[in-house]
Amino acid sequence: MLRMARSLPEEVLEHVFSFIHSDKDRNAISMVCKSWYEIERWCRRRIFVGNCYAVNPSMVIRRFPEVRSVELKGKPHFADFNLVPDGWGGYVYPWIAAMANAYPWLEEISLKRMVVTDETLELIAKSFKNFKVLVLSSCEGFSTDGLAAIAANCRNLRQLDLRESEVDDPSGHWLSHFPDSFTSLVSLNISCLGSEVNFSALEHLVGRCPNLRTLRLNRAVPLDRLANILRRAPQLVELGAGTYSAELRPDVFSSIAGAFSGCKELKSLSGFWDVVPGYLPAIYPICSSLTSLNLSYATIQSPDLVKLVSQCQSLQRLWVLDYIEDIGLEALAAFCKDLQELRVFPSEPFALEPNVSLTEQGLVSVSEGCLKLHSVLYFCRQMTNDALVTIARNCPKMTRFRLCIIEPRTSDYITLQPLDDGFGAIVEHCKDLRRLSLSGLLTDRVFEYIGTHAKKLEMLSVAFAGDSDLGLHHVLYGCENLRKLEIRDCPFGDKALLANAAKLETMRSLWMSSCSVSFGACKLLGQKMPRLNIEVIDERGPPDSRPESCPVEKLYIYRTLAGPRFDMPGFVWTMDEDSALRFS
Amino acid sequence: MGRRGSASSSSSLESSNYPALSSRSSLYQHNRDLSTDLRLGLSIATSSQGNPSTPSVSESDWPPIKPFLKETLAAEENECNSATFFVKVYMEGIPIGRKLDLLAHDGYHNLIRTLDHMFNTTIIWAEMDGEHSEQYHVLTYEDKEGDWLMVGDVPWEMFLSSVRRLKITRADI
Repeated sequence: MLRMARSLPEEVLEHVFSFIHSDKDRNAISMVCKSWYEIERWCRRRIFVGNCYAVNPSMVIRRFPEVRSVELKGKPHFADFNLVPDGWGGYVYPWIAAMANAYPWLEEISLKRMVVTDETLELIAKSFKNFKVLVLSSCEGFSTDGLAAIAANCRNLRQLDLRESEVDDPSGHWLSHFPDSFTSLVSLNISCLGSEVNFSALEHLVGRCPNLRTLRLNRAVPLDRLANILRRAPQLVELGAGTYSAELRPDVFSSIAGAFSGCKELKSLSGFWDVVPGYLPAIYPICSSLTSLNLSYATIQSPDLVKLVSQCQSLQRLWVLDYIEDIGLEALAAFCKDLQELRVFPSEPFALEPNVSLTEQGLVSVSEGCLKLHSVLYFCRQMTNDALVTIARNCPKMTRFRLCIIEPRTSDYITLQPLDDGFGAIVEHCKDLRRLSLSGLLTDRVFEYIGTHAKKLEMLSVAFAGDSDLGLHHVLYGCENLRKLEIRDCPFGDKALLANAAKLETMRSLWMSSCSVSFGACKLLGQKMPRLNIEVIDERGPPDSRPESCPVEKLYIYRTLAGPRFDMPGFVWTMDEDSALRFS
Repeated sequence: MGRRGSASSSSSLESSNYPALSSRSSLYQHNRDLSTDLRLGLSIATSSQGNPSTPSVSESDWPPIKPFLKETLAAEENECNSATFFVKVYMEGIPIGRKLDLLAHDGYHNLIRTLDHMFNTTIIWAEMDGEHSEQYHVLTYEDKEGDWLMVGDVPWEMFLSSVRRLKITRADI
């Protein structure tokens, strides 16, 4: 076997490896023998770093010298919900600075939850001559000045996607920095921008880029501009409309309707702020070919939603507000037999009383009618164990199940029992479940079910649940494939954490906030586990100004080869081997 | 994953140096009482108040929806509940415009009165009758097409649907 490996020339092996794309497979290849490790590292073109602090740029560059595409993630997921204080970290500049020197042929940069500055964008714009793809997902710290630099300098740009990023002080003129000779754009997503872009610059850009497939506009693009844009890009496959509202006028309507029917390739729609229902029929002609519909910003009521979804027989993904109600979900179940993913968001998340008739029944209907359903995010105000058991039995192929019952610790509203058995059924029947978010009244028992059955689970989100450390222990001990665990407001303390310390090295990260992990336990973990960064995040001041038994506010633990980081703000402390000395 | 199976000393750390959990049970009691407050939708003070086990739920972090969606929903709600329509009003010679809620007024008379006070002047508009004082100003507005028109020529509702901003200029005759 060894002789065979040696007798194959490197070029042949490299060619074979070029068909292997998944990181898991590439990592496996690199461990076969030293020469395969060497060959593989020289031909790896894509890098994914799930936690930017798990490794430092020079380590990556040293091992993989010829990378063309980099994906980095920064802040933990709970940062999306304001649980990570501003200034925590996730700065991408050091990575870009290192890569500017090492990877002059870098083509793609994808960042999620990172702090990106205008300086960073300017460096990207001038360092990578063949730069093609920039995806900034939930990033912050930059302005349209940075975007102008990208537009002006990246001659081969194909994709600029700013999904859900916070862009400072936006002005619309950055779009005009794309030179007239620039025609390579394939995908543009500016839906998160607050203010107007220069409309004529936008129309001109759209008109001169024949390969444009994805265009997600922002709210500031009014309906009457949309028709012009669509007419210049009838080849669009994915469209995010801006504001879908105007005075109802027949000439405007026929203009929009005509523009939409000209777009024969449209498969995905999003946007639709401020919908005037009278204009919805303008999209009916293309509904039957839609596979993805994101109406999370559209305040359309259920009768109009029913009319809409009942024409979308090819729909695979629907994101919608709870205005759809149970009755709309029944229509979805009846007409959209190819549905794979459903997300229902709350229209009035802070209201104490329900404002719509959306209950557990809606989700049950969809689970009954849509046999391919495997990904669910559902906000509601009531649930029963029976409903969850039914859903579990109907959807054994579920891979992502996230339920958010808005009021914390809500019990089964009929039996008044905890929802342990319902979620237990989910993990028992859905053997491929990779992601789970819990809510409602839950005891340690649900965690026992999870530890026993959820063997493929990779990410678990827990809030206001459990009774004791036993709950956390079940999960850490039983979930063999757990990578990310995020917990808030649960009575989990030191015992489970310390008893399962080694488990933490097999995971990407653990987040615990408003729990009962003591500062003393954090110090102990920091001392004993050098390959973990134990970050105590506490805005009340230095943890050693309080007794050791005092619980920390927030705790973020992640495995790392890079050691403690040096860019922490004043409210973050890393527990390391020296911390016991420093804090005593 | 061979490491995980056995309870070797490296996989578990003794916490015998640290106080038992029983001293914390009283804090859990406190948690349960506070859950009533949660049900009433009251926002509870953050743990900066000193009690580290206080559940700190505020509107900014529960339920878990992303900021972009939260902002959009908040804006929708404002539109429905307390409808406002702010436009900028520029006075000749002053570079900074003042913001004015047009929907807080029920018609032109009301609007002019507010503007007179805001800018300490007398404003001429379409329906003004008879006498002018020595120093007066003219009120114009920019409509959706970018044209500047005299305020007061069209019905109030039509004005509201087309006005983008207001300008007060000296009228020299």
